Amino acid sequence: MRAARGIGLGAAIALLALVPWIASPTLVQFGITTLLLAALAQSWNIIGGYTGYASFGNSVFFGLGSYGTAVAMAQFDLPFGVGMALGAVLAILCALLFGFPLLRLRGHYFAIATLALALAITGIVSNLEIAGRNIGLVLPLLKGDWVFYEMALVLVVLVTAVVFWISRSRFGCALIAIREDEDAAAVMGVNTTRYKITAFALSGFFSSLAGGIHAYWITFVDPVSAFDISLNVKMIIMAIFGGPGSVFGPLIGAVILSGVSDLLSTEVSNMASLFFGAVIVLAVVFMPRGLVHVQQNFRRLRWRYFAQNVRNHRI
Amino acid sequence: MSLLLQVTANGILLGGLYALMALGLGLVWGVLNIVNLAHGAFIMLGAYAAFYLYTLLQIDPFVALPVCMLALFCLGFLLQRYVLNLIVRAPMFNTLLITFGFDVVLTYLAQIAFSADFRAVNPVYAGANFAVAGVTLPLVRVLAFGAALLLTTALWLLLARTRLGRAIRACAQNLLAARLYGVQPRTIYALTFGLGAALAGAAGDLYGVVSQFNPYIGNSLTAKSFAICVIGGLDSPVGVIIGGLFLGLLESLTALYVGPTYTDVASFGVLVLILIVRPTGLLGRTA
Repeated sequence: MRAARGIGLGAAIALLALVPWIASPTLVQFGITTLLLAALAQSWNIIGGYTGYASFGNSVFFGLGSYGTAVAMAQFDLPFGVGMALGAVLAILCALLFGFPLLRLRGHYFAIATLALALAITGIVSNLEIAGRNIGLVLPLLKGDWVFYEMALVLVVLVTAVVFWISRSRFGCALIAIREDEDAAAVMGVNTTRYKITAFALSGFFSSLAGGIHAYWITFVDPVSAFDISLNVKMIIMAIFGGPGSVFGPLIGAVILSGVSDLLSTEVSNMASLFFGAVIVLAVVFMPRGLVHVQQNFRRLRWRYFAQNVRNHRI
Repeated sequence: MSLLLQVTANGILLGGLYALMALGLGLVWGVLNIVNLAHGAFIMLGAYAAFYLYTLLQIDPFVALPVCMLALFCLGFLLQRYVLNLIVRAPMFNTLLITFGFDVVLTYLAQIAFSADFRAVNPVYAGANFAVAGVTLPLVRVLAFGAALLLTTALWLLLARTRLGRAIRACAQNLLAARLYGVQPRTIYALTFGLGAALAGAAGDLYGVVSQFNPYIGNSLTAKSFAICVIGGLDSPVGVIIGGLFLGLLESLTALYVGPTYTDVASFGVLVLILIVRPTGLLGRTA
């Protein structure tokens, strides 16, 4: 059974890797966007889904990854790999520097402090000469979308492998313990600060890689879109829709939501954003634990599952 | 010296408006334990209500204040009564997320309905100002400041002196005990959220008079309102006024001494700093 699953998974990845050679260019572009969003949703899953800290600051890491790559390539003519590394180092430093004080905050305070951090860093970057102030930077053009597609696919596989490891390791148990009851976890001897900061840094590391790939792909960065809060909301809603704190939930959520929003945005612009808002509201009311949880319980409870969620949380 | 005085006066006038913005957020937060991320979107809708009342019906924005408040009250009441009440006992993260959903929906509906162009409410006296001791005070800003203080006082009286206010405070202190005394939390929650939205509507109306706006102003106004609540604490409207004045002064002085592009860095940087130093807020209760 386990071997069969492994083979199936390997075949699926191999099939996905073949897409650029079979599919149309538009489909490949859609694939890159979806894979990057899936990688971001999965990175958010580490800090938000497993550790239970609702970070609104993951777009900071994405933005730092974008800017690290852009500054290295546009200002210093360094290769892409060096740019990615610079972005990743910046993101990890940021996670360590701000993670230490911010992860002491709980609930609303943590969420809004990370939101404020994102707004403050947008302001700082748009004042930096080296980052092109509020105009932004233009990166060299690389033709061939397949490179970006494969890089994004590797990133998704990598971050999912890490999440899979988290889901069945001592480290992951500690994170889940922190999510369920932080004081109890501390009493049990879990060094909560160290675990939380590691989770935050891991999440930031993978988000920054997605940022670097995205910046090189669209060959342009500017402060407002690199640190866009709505990107952070997309990560959260994709993870929540699919199933936070599960290995494949965020990927399923990313594929479904990005597919539907792509269909909608070709019809009417702005419909995609409206759709996201509506999905957030409906998902929080009827299936706050995501599709994975629905799938596990629907067979037993049928439609009562949704009614039960409402009954449990209403006043 | 006169420049400093002028900038201080501007900061105080701005701070009054900021306090009014934060008042609704703080009320809902304190009573319902919901941080309403759509608060800034409510403010934005209030500004558009004032804009259309003025351009289509020539109703003066200060006269239109009750109309904006009533419209936003209805919106807030319905949202809480029929949606938020369904999840009010869910974990904090769910309530945060659902209000973000409202924020996204309202922002993009506003963009479809009103377009993304910057607007401003410009009554005939918009350019008028007067001088006190060498400091020039724009008339609309002084009026907006006065209205903000008036509404803050009105809220304080409502909470402290009326039956409804007592019921709201009871729900905030102990829901079970309030229920035993015959308070209907469903209705009180809806009324409180409506009240918070009405205050946002008033703030939006005044914001439209003193500044430009488009559908996207919501997020940063929400974050500023939150910063003010953190600085001032949720205990009393007085704390919110202090928080508002502090933020207004901070932004004006930053614009003068550091540069106008750094105002957001300063206000959000200070928010992060305060949370780091005192996780429950500067004047807030120690949890």
